[in-house]
Amino acid sequence: MADTDLVVRQDIRSAMWNPGGWKSLLTFFILALAWLAGFSARLFAVIRFESIIHEFDPWFNYRATHYMVENGFYNFLNWFDDRAWYPLGRIVGGTVYPGLMVTSGSIHWFLNLLHIPVHIRDICVFLAPIFSGMTSMSVFLFTKEIWNPGAGLFAACFIAIVPGYISRSVAGSYDNEGIAIFALMFTYYLWIKAVKTGQVFWSICSALSYFYMVSAWGGYVFIINLVPLHVFVLLLMGRYSQRIYTSYTCFYIVGLVLSMQIPFVGFQPIRTSEHMAAAGVFALLNAYAFLRYIQNFLTKAEFRYFFIAAVTCAAAIVFVAVVGLTWAGYIAPWSGRFYSLWDTGYAKIHIPIIASVSEHQPTTWVSFFFDLHILVCAFPVGAWYCIKNVNDERVFVVLYAIFASYFAGVMVRLMLTLTPVVCVLAAIAFSKTFEVYLKDDSPKSSQKGGDENGDNKNDRLYDKVGNKKKIRDDKPKDDEGLGINVKSIIIVALLMMLMLFAVHCTWVTSSAYSSPSIVLASYGQGGSRTILDDFREAYYWLRQNTHDKARIMSWWDYGYQIAGMGNRTTLVDNNTWNNSHIALVGKAMSSNESAAYEIMRTLDVNYVLVIFGGVIGYSGDDINKFLWMVRIAEGEHPKDIREVDYFTPQGEFRVDSAGSKTLLNCLMYKLSYYRFGQLQLDFRSPAGFDRTRGVEIGNKNFDLTYLEEAYTTEHWLVRIYKVKDLENRKKLIHPHKPIIKSKRKSLRGGKKTGVIRNKSKVVKGRKPKAGSASSSRSSKSKK
Amino acid sequence: MAAYSLFTALVGFLVIAYVCAQTKKKEDSLGDKVHQLMEWNNKKSIIRLKGDKFRQYVKSPPRNYSVIVMLTALQPQRGCSVCKQANDEYQILANSWRYSQQYSNRLFFTLVDYDEAVDIFQSMKLNTAPVFMHFPAKGKPKKGDTLDINRVGFAAEQLAKWVGERTDIQVRVFRPPNYSGTVALALLFAMVGGLLYFKRNNLEFLYNKTSWGIVSLAIIFAMTSGQMWNHIRGPPVMHRNPNTGQMHYIHGSSQGQFIMETYIVMLLNTSVVVGFIMLNEAQNMKGDPGKKRILSLVGLGCVTIFFSLLLSVFRSKYQGYPYSFLFK
Repeated sequence: MADTDLVVRQDIRSAMWNPGGWKSLLTFFILALAWLAGFSARLFAVIRFESIIHEFDPWFNYRATHYMVENGFYNFLNWFDDRAWYPLGRIVGGTVYPGLMVTSGSIHWFLNLLHIPVHIRDICVFLAPIFSGMTSMSVFLFTKEIWNPGAGLFAACFIAIVPGYISRSVAGSYDNEGIAIFALMFTYYLWIKAVKTGQVFWSICSALSYFYMVSAWGGYVFIINLVPLHVFVLLLMGRYSQRIYTSYTCFYIVGLVLSMQIPFVGFQPIRTSEHMAAAGVFALLNAYAFLRYIQNFLTKAEFRYFFIAAVTCAAAIVFVAVVGLTWAGYIAPWSGRFYSLWDTGYAKIHIPIIASVSEHQPTTWVSFFFDLHILVCAFPVGAWYCIKNVNDERVFVVLYAIFASYFAGVMVRLMLTLTPVVCVLAAIAFSKTFEVYLKDDSPKSSQKGGDENGDNKNDRLYDKVGNKKKIRDDKPKDDEGLGINVKSIIIVALLMMLMLFAVHCTWVTSSAYSSPSIVLASYGQGGSRTILDDFREAYYWLRQNTHDKARIMSWWDYGYQIAGMGNRTTLVDNNTWNNSHIALVGKAMSSNESAAYEIMRTLDVNYVLVIFGGVIGYSGDDINKFLWMVRIAEGEHPKDIREVDYFTPQGEFRVDSAGSKTLLNCLMYKLSYYRFGQLQLDFRSPAGFDRTRGVEIGNKNFDLTYLEEAYTTEHWLVRIYKVKDLENRKKLIHPHKPIIKSKRKSLRGGKKTGVIRNKSKVVKGRKPKAGSASSSRSSKSKK
Repeated sequence: MAAYSLFTALVGFLVIAYVCAQTKKKEDSLGDKVHQLMEWNNKKSIIRLKGDKFRQYVKSPPRNYSVIVMLTALQPQRGCSVCKQANDEYQILANSWRYSQQYSNRLFFTLVDYDEAVDIFQSMKLNTAPVFMHFPAKGKPKKGDTLDINRVGFAAEQLAKWVGERTDIQVRVFRPPNYSGTVALALLFAMVGGLLYFKRNNLEFLYNKTSWGIVSLAIIFAMTSGQMWNHIRGPPVMHRNPNTGQMHYIHGSSQGQFIMETYIVMLLNTSVVVGFIMLNEAQNMKGDPGKKRILSLVGLGCVTIFFSLLLSVFRSKYQGYPYSFLFK
């Protein structure tokens, strides 16, 4: 008994002093703190404003989630939304990635099962911050596989606070990307694990994770191209092995079958060119494995002959098959957005609707630095050391870095896919440097070094970066180290830069990425804050004061918000699937009032909603977006709308009196500036002074014929107009008759008294009829 | 009385005959003009016009064809490089029209050179070149009949669009395929292939990680310093302030950048990376500790100084950014 007691006590003691145990505890704590820091950094918007869904797309996701929670999953899959794209409608179930809705729906279901009554909106608002913590977990695991656990901790801390990822995952930004980055990194981690172990288990896991990614975001194409590329490069490098064969074949087949289960994806994985690389590599890998197998049975000369013949045949067959299938229409050519990734001039010329979205613009170095700060300088170092100490999985991370940086350079939006790999590689760089300089190599000052480490630990926990377990493990042999002073200087300098990074991240998050854009805030001179809640005011007005089936026309940016908050039917929305419908709305906005009225009558529009920022100086309003409306309309109706007409002869876009006549009389102008000419904002500026564009407007006193003002919000940010019904009795307008003529007529009319034409004349004393005339004649003859 | 009526008839006849002759002459002249233009056009897709011909074929009224005129200065002593580029684009457009399916006598492309016809430029009060003008089949040129080069540019596609707007004749621009890219690519491949062939006994260099590392880092640096933005947007190399004559290498706003600026940023990024690598390599270096110390401190200096420089460039572009490191 005493013996066992002793053994147990010793076990406990050894466990207490077991470095492995402390290591896990430290790891756990650092990861928990990273999660917490990442979560809290994303709450600026909720604290400043309230728990509200942001921007545009999230409103649709929220509406869809709400529908799914109320009506069940299968009804959601079959949902035909008749409140969007009037009169076409939209099949929602087949045109969304349902992963996001299903994720938050199942969280909601689970919490309700535990009798925790949470509204679905709160889950939607906080989903992205929670998933950011899971992203940092998966980045930790990924980096651990690539380099070591210390670098993994750095990477987890970096990804938790880096602005490039926060930009898409603040609380309230309820969008696909929020969960997709987690799915992306987790799939990569499982893939690396599969390549390392060669186990079917891990590759099936990665295929399942890939399935989750496919259900969540269209960016899954990035995975299905990068993984085959990894395999292909490994083949080229002569690093083929059984492990790679197993993992890739399992991953590809299971992943392919699973991805086709998503209704929106459907048969795309076997029909579009974006997915063909994966199929090609699958065939190549099998061919290569087969050749390796054949090689065992043949002599060298025979094999060479066989090899050349086989390769030629295979290449010819594949080429003919691809060309034939493309020609016959079974394989679709590259879709526009992907095409614009390769041929960078393509989108600018051919697809104005893609070019109009600011997310599809190329990236300046400023936005790289803004989103990644010191990591953008440090991550090439990580890439350098990954190449220097190359192995199977590091090939992957280097390829990822190169391709993601190319894509991020082409499109601002794809900065999001670059961010995780930048964190991983920068973490490797920092971890390696710290390993070198935190190593305690002077035996004399071991005590001192320990103290210093302690100090640094505090710093770094504050800074949310840190690893130091490796340091004490191996004692250096040579006494001629760098010296403690040099080392401390270097460590302190690097820590200061990391602190600067943390501060930068917080500042960027707070100042740039935390505005809900539904609610605006303006700051007065004394730091006082005014909330401009015009958007919700207007949408709520629509909800309360219009008919349930009323159709609202607005530019597509506001479609989701009107549907989500106002619960009214819209013509076009942010799901820009039908270009010609959008062009029709653009045409209505850029035509004059009577032409627009005809379009609006054909589209059954009841209300028109415009965003006008001239009173408060809000720059994202419809007049500033107007040229895109004109361009998109011109693309479909080149006869009626010409961009040139909206510029001055000098080629400027002006709303003041020098602006072009077409602009000053188009519907958008009139709706934005109706009654604005009478409004004097302050004493220094004249009446009708537009603060956004800083000019006095050119067309001040006009009336609307076919529309009437229905509602204007407090700061004039949203203006709603009612489209008048057809008049009972049409006013007579004779536009083609010259004015002089009508004047003369009116003059003549003025002199005479009223005249009735073709009036039968009555002559007194005689009967007017023909018969009576003859009788009178006869009576005459009688006389 | 009879004499009077005879006289009237005679006069009437004469008038009729004269008018007939006149119209016939007119028709003749029109037919001749079109014929002549077609003949010229068969030889060359752009018809060069001098003063008289310009007045006869373009300005004088009986016309049933549209004429596009490029007024330009192509003589080398004029030193107009824009004119040359415009001329190339114009040539592409004219050739596309000349060899297209719908080629007809409704539209002609012509050219007037300043040195051959100064008077035309003077009479039209032009003092810039090149100018694209459209002379419609009926009536005089209107406002929109002069192409706004500043806004639209003179790419052949834009010209074709403008021509389509003015004349309702859609010219599909067919660019002769640009083989220079293909040739360069083929040359590159040939060079790489040749190199591999000559070195076939010693392919060790393919396994050299340093060169692969440098290539990969070069791609990353190019992308993170915004070279792709330059490629798509085509900004100027740098900007000279017209008032002070001072050169600006850095664009003032965070929305834009100059080519020179991206090179500076690329250099700064590279220096930081080199600094980091020196920091790491200092430990592996063999030799006395003094050298190690120096290398590591130089590395640290590279990292901190160039990073602070980068930060201050960023600060100068991003108004209201509150943080700095070492330098303002």
